[in-house]
Amino acid sequence: MIAFVILAILALGGGVGVVVARQPVHSALFLILNILALAIFYILLSAEFLAAAQVIVYAGAIMVLFLFVVTLLTAGKDDAEPQEGLAGQRLTAGILAVLAGGGLAVLGVLYPSQSIPFGLPPNFGNLHGMGLNLWNQDFVYLAAVALMLLTAAIGVLVLNRPQRRQHRAGVKGEDS
Amino acid sequence: MNGALGPEYMVVLGVFASMIAVMVSRQRTIAAYWAALAAVVAAGIWTAALWSSPALPISLYAQGVRVDLFSLAIDGLVLLASAGALLVGWNDARYGADFPALVLLALLGMMVLGLANNFLVLFLGIELLSLPLYVLAASGGYAESREAGLKYLLLGAFSSGILLFGLALLYGASGTMVLTQLANSSLILPLAGAGLALTVVGLVFKLGIIPFHMWVPDVYEGSPLPVTTFMAFGTKVGAAAILLRFLFYGFSVAVGWWEPALGYLAVLTMVAGNLLALAQKDMKRLLAYSGIANAGYLLVGISAHNQAGARAMLFYLLVYGLAVLAAFSVFTMVARERNSVSLNDLTGLARRSPWLTAFLAVAMLSLAGIPLTGGFVGKFYLLQAALDANEPGLAIGLVVGAMIGLAAYVRPLQRAFQGGDGTSEAPVRWPVAGAVVVVIAVLGTIGLGVYPAPIVHIVNHSAAFDWLR
Repeated sequence: MIAFVILAILALGGGVGVVVARQPVHSALFLILNILALAIFYILLSAEFLAAAQVIVYAGAIMVLFLFVVTLLTAGKDDAEPQEGLAGQRLTAGILAVLAGGGLAVLGVLYPSQSIPFGLPPNFGNLHGMGLNLWNQDFVYLAAVALMLLTAAIGVLVLNRPQRRQHRAGVKGEDS
Repeated sequence: MNGALGPEYMVVLGVFASMIAVMVSRQRTIAAYWAALAAVVAAGIWTAALWSSPALPISLYAQGVRVDLFSLAIDGLVLLASAGALLVGWNDARYGADFPALVLLALLGMMVLGLANNFLVLFLGIELLSLPLYVLAASGGYAESREAGLKYLLLGAFSSGILLFGLALLYGASGTMVLTQLANSSLILPLAGAGLALTVVGLVFKLGIIPFHMWVPDVYEGSPLPVTTFMAFGTKVGAAAILLRFLFYGFSVAVGWWEPALGYLAVLTMVAGNLLALAQKDMKRLLAYSGIANAGYLLVGISAHNQAGARAMLFYLLVYGLAVLAAFSVFTMVARERNSVSLNDLTGLARRSPWLTAFLAVAMLSLAGIPLTGGFVGKFYLLQAALDANEPGLAIGLVVGAMIGLAAYVRPLQRAFQGGDGTSEAPVRWPVAGAVVVVIAVLGTIGLGVYPAPIVHIVNHSAAFDWLR
C-alpha cells in the first residue's frame, strides 16, 4: 500500500509536470518519471515482461525520439506563452478535466473492481507466458498490430512523396 | 478453422499483392489497382460462399472474433464500399500507387469491426480502420488535404483515448473482455456506467453523431474525392456495425442505460444535421452533413433496440451507401482535375450531360427518401422499427429530419437544371470505371426502391438477434 501511494504520487506528479512545464525538454523528462513509475506498478502486479518492455520501449526508444524532435524543433526559440484564442479556456479545460478524472477516481475507490475469478494463469507476466498467448489465442491481435505497423510504413512513404509528381496530375499511370 | 476468416485473409493477401505489384510492374499504378480489385472480388466470393455454411456462428481466438451472418453482411457492405472507392479513384496518378493498399487496409479494419466480439478486437479494428484513413485523408498533397489529415488524426486519437478508457473501466467493472459474456457477468454499477458512457462516446465519434461531429465536414472537404467516398460509406458501416454489436450483444439486458441517450442523440443529429446541410455550397460539405444526418437515421435503428431496428439499420446502410457512391462518382466526373464541386459548378449540368444529371437526381432523391428509390424503403423500415419499439419521438424526429433534408438535396438539382446554354461547355467526360460505379449504384438504388425483397430476406437472416423483442 505504501509503495502504491508513493508510486501513484510520482506518476501523477510526472503527468502534471508534462502539462505544466514550459520547456518541452522538461515535459519529456517528466514523462520519463511517469513511465518509470508505471513500470514499477507493472512489477508490483507481477507483470515483469510488461515492465521491462515499458522501460525499453517507452523510456528508451520513444523518449529518445521525443528528445530528438524537441531539440530539432525548439532550438533557439523562446518559450513565451502564445496568446489564448478563447479567454480562460485553459482554466476551464483544467477544471473540467480534474472534475471528470476526480469523479472517475472516486467511483473507482468507492466501487473496487472484481478480482479475476480464475486466478493468474501459469507463466503470467513473463516472456514465456506472453509468447504462448501471443501465438495462440491472441494471434489475431498480433496480426492486427502488425498490419497497423505496415500501415504506418506505407503512410510515411505516401506523406513524403516528392512534390513534383503531383503537379503532373493526369489519368495516365506513372511510369519508372 | 475451416476458412471462416477467408475474406479477411484474401484482403491481407490483396494488400501484399498490391504492394508487390507496385514494385515489380512497369505499369505501377494500374497493376496495384487490379490486384486490389481482384482481392476485393475474391473476398466477396468467399463471403458469399460462407453465407450458407452450416457451421455458423463460428467463434475463434478464445471468442475474440465471431463469424456469423451479421459479420458476413457487414463484410459484403464494406467490400462494396471499397470496390466503389477503388473504381472512383481508378488509376489516377494524383493518389499514387499506394492508394489501393491503404484502402484495403482500412477495409480490413472495417471487416474486423464486423466480427469483433472482444474489447481488444473492437479497439484494434477501430485503429486499423482509422490509421489508413488518416494517411489517405492527407494523401492529396495540397494544403486542405494535409489539414484534413491532421485534424482527423488529432481528433481521432483523442476519441480513441476516450474509447480505450471506457473499455478499461468496463473490463474493471465486469472482469471479462468478451462481449457475449458481459450479459452474464455481474457488473459493478457506477463503474460500468462510466465505462459504457465513455465507450459509446468513442464509438459515436467515429460515426459522426452530433455533438461529436466537428471533424466530419472539414475532413470530408479536404480529402481527395475517392477517399471521401470511402469514408462516407465504409467508415459509417464499420462504426454502425460495431456500435450495434457492442450494445446488442453486450448490453442487451441493461437497455435502460443507453437507449434513451442514443434516442435523444439520434433526434438531435437527424434534425441538426439536415439543417446544417441546408446552408452548404460545397458539395462535399453538403454530403458530409448529409452523412451526419444519415448517421442519425442509423442510430434510430440501434436505439429502437428490436430486431426490426437492426434489420432496418442494415438495410439503410446499403441504401445510403449506394446513393453516396452514385453521388460521389458523379461529382468526381464533374470535378475532373480539381478536388471540389460547388453549387456553381453544377449550373447547367442538365444541358451539358443529361444522363449524368439524371443519375445525380436519383442519388439525391434517394438520400431525401422519395418513393421508388431505396431511400424511401429504408426510411420506411426505420420508421416501422421506431413505432414497433413504441418510440414516437424517434419517428417524428426522422420525418422532420427527412423533410428538412429534402430541401438540402433538391438545391443542387435545381442548380443543375437552371442556366447554361449547352454550347459554351463541353459535356462531362465519362471514365469507364466511374461509369460502372454510377450505373450499378443507380440501378441498385432504383432496384431497392422497387423490389427490395431479396435484400430484405438477406438482412432478416443476418440480423436475427433472437433475444430481442
